[in-house]
Amino acid sequence: MFLACWSLASAPHCLAAPTHTVAVAVSPKNFVSNVTLGDLRKIFGGEKRTWPDGSHVKLFSRAPGTTERAALLKLLGKSELEYKQFWTAKVFQGDAESEPMVLPSSGMQREAVTAYPGAITLVDATDIKPGMKVLKVDGKLPDDDNYPLRP
Amino acid sequence: MLRRGLLRAGQMIALSTLLGGTASAQDSILADRETIRQLAQQIRQLQEKVAALEAKQGSAPSTTADTSSVPASGDASASASQLASFQEAHEVRGIRWRGFGEVNYKVLNQRQPELATFGFVPGSAGNFYTGDFDLFLTSKISEKASVLAEVIIGEGDAQRFDIELARALLKYDYNDHLRLSIGRYHTAIGYYNTAFHSGKWLQTTVDRPLVMEFAGDGGLLPTQALGLSVTGQIPSGKLGLNYIAEYGSSDTVRPDLDDGTVVDENNGNHVNLGLFLHPESVPGLQIGGSYYHDRISDFLKGPSVRLAQTVINGHLVYAAHSFEILNEAFLIRNAYEQGGPISNMPAFYSQFSRRFGKVRPFFRYQYVNTNIKSSYHSDVLLRHGPSFGARYDFNESIAFKTQLDHTIRKGSPDLDGLQMQLSFAF
Repeated sequence: MFLACWSLASAPHCLAAPTHTVAVAVSPKNFVSNVTLGDLRKIFGGEKRTWPDGSHVKLFSRAPGTTERAALLKLLGKSELEYKQFWTAKVFQGDAESEPMVLPSSGMQREAVTAYPGAITLVDATDIKPGMKVLKVDGKLPDDDNYPLRP
Repeated sequence: MLRRGLLRAGQMIALSTLLGGTASAQDSILADRETIRQLAQQIRQLQEKVAALEAKQGSAPSTTADTSSVPASGDASASASQLASFQEAHEVRGIRWRGFGEVNYKVLNQRQPELATFGFVPGSAGNFYTGDFDLFLTSKISEKASVLAEVIIGEGDAQRFDIELARALLKYDYNDHLRLSIGRYHTAIGYYNTAFHSGKWLQTTVDRPLVMEFAGDGGLLPTQALGLSVTGQIPSGKLGLNYIAEYGSSDTVRPDLDDGTVVDENNGNHVNLGLFLHPESVPGLQIGGSYYHDRISDFLKGPSVRLAQTVINGHLVYAAHSFEILNEAFLIRNAYEQGGPISNMPAFYSQFSRRFGKVRPFFRYQYVNTNIKSSYHSDVLLRHGPSFGARYDFNESIAFKTQLDHTIRKGSPDLDGLQMQLSFAF
């Protein structure tokens, strides 16, 4: 068990997050606080491309082999090869500009969600830092029972 | 300190290399991404070395490499600039190029030569051909506006090549509910045409189903058009309802399969309306349909004799968890506006495949039944039969496919074929 802290809505929270749980991190400026698993699948599948306020979703991912990547592939129901080919197809279909940008560290993930109001990324719950806003998924936080996002 | 120093050094190398790279090679986004990947790898290696050194010194290893790489407050500006350089490298302004290519070998036991397409020589025992070489470019104009174009260099007879502007679109994405495109597009009749476009690498099989083949290559439908397209999501909760509406000129020109004589349908302006579902409860499932309507001329009776052309499509597609299941049915209806015989021509295909590692075996059955009394497609008549084969992905960009076809033709001998294709994306 590791201690993770973040700002949820306006108040900072700390909790003991179980290992191998993946959190959904967005910009603190994003007023969304809960997403359904279906919405999350559409967001990371490039199908839902704008937030409710009209700002564009900006996807960031981690490299193959990471906990976050495993959770992402599980969420989309794809292998690594299928994921790469899926994004090539999305670009060719005109539905995406490129594959989501791969960031090599959680520090850069934090900078990404700070710098881009529309940013969203999956972060190992143990790597959550102040400055990241964690979304509930189907009303649950990473340390809740039956949290749906696990690699 | 040693750890942070090494990390900082790695980040500075990455930063300087990226900045140099973006300045000198704006048109090379793929090279930049590869550079980023390599640099990230180098950073990881440095982190591993640091961890090993720390272990030797008796210090406690970090829980994860990533956590340790999160900069302290003093390093925030360095990380932010590194992110900015990553972002710059990833989203270079200007034109982004992608492409698809293919090399094919095909054998048919064809006694009477049929139409040659993609460079295949009809009546030959078998020959190589390059098919389409596809250059795809995009350019972002603003946050919501972009340009997309697809240029195809296609092989004709005797290794001669022609250039076609397959798509050229000015796109404006207002939000998820309203996405506009104007220009030349692939019509959204059904699923296949807008899922796979012209990239053979994208599709599992070697070729497209005959009904969905591009009209210029003998297909039955108006696959390309020039006009306006609007698409988006309809608020429908977990149903995931989407719409598409197109208005444009398809101006279809199709060669006769028997003798290659080109027939111009002399189209008017078409309307194409489609609805499809992506239900949340079954990710990967798409159920939908479309209605296409146009007015075309009867080329046998003269341009003043007009036909109402209607194409109705229904499709059910599942693509997830290694499965790809495609099912589409069509009804092509040509009716004289002045009264007279009506031609109803049904067609469908079903395709099933599942990936096992790098291999994806597939099976497809297709059926087309056109009307001999119709001015159009009377060269096709009844054709149906299975295709089966496999696709092998060497990596994320190169695939080899092999396919056996058996086609039963009304009024002609059955046709057996072997096709092999090396397709690639770059």
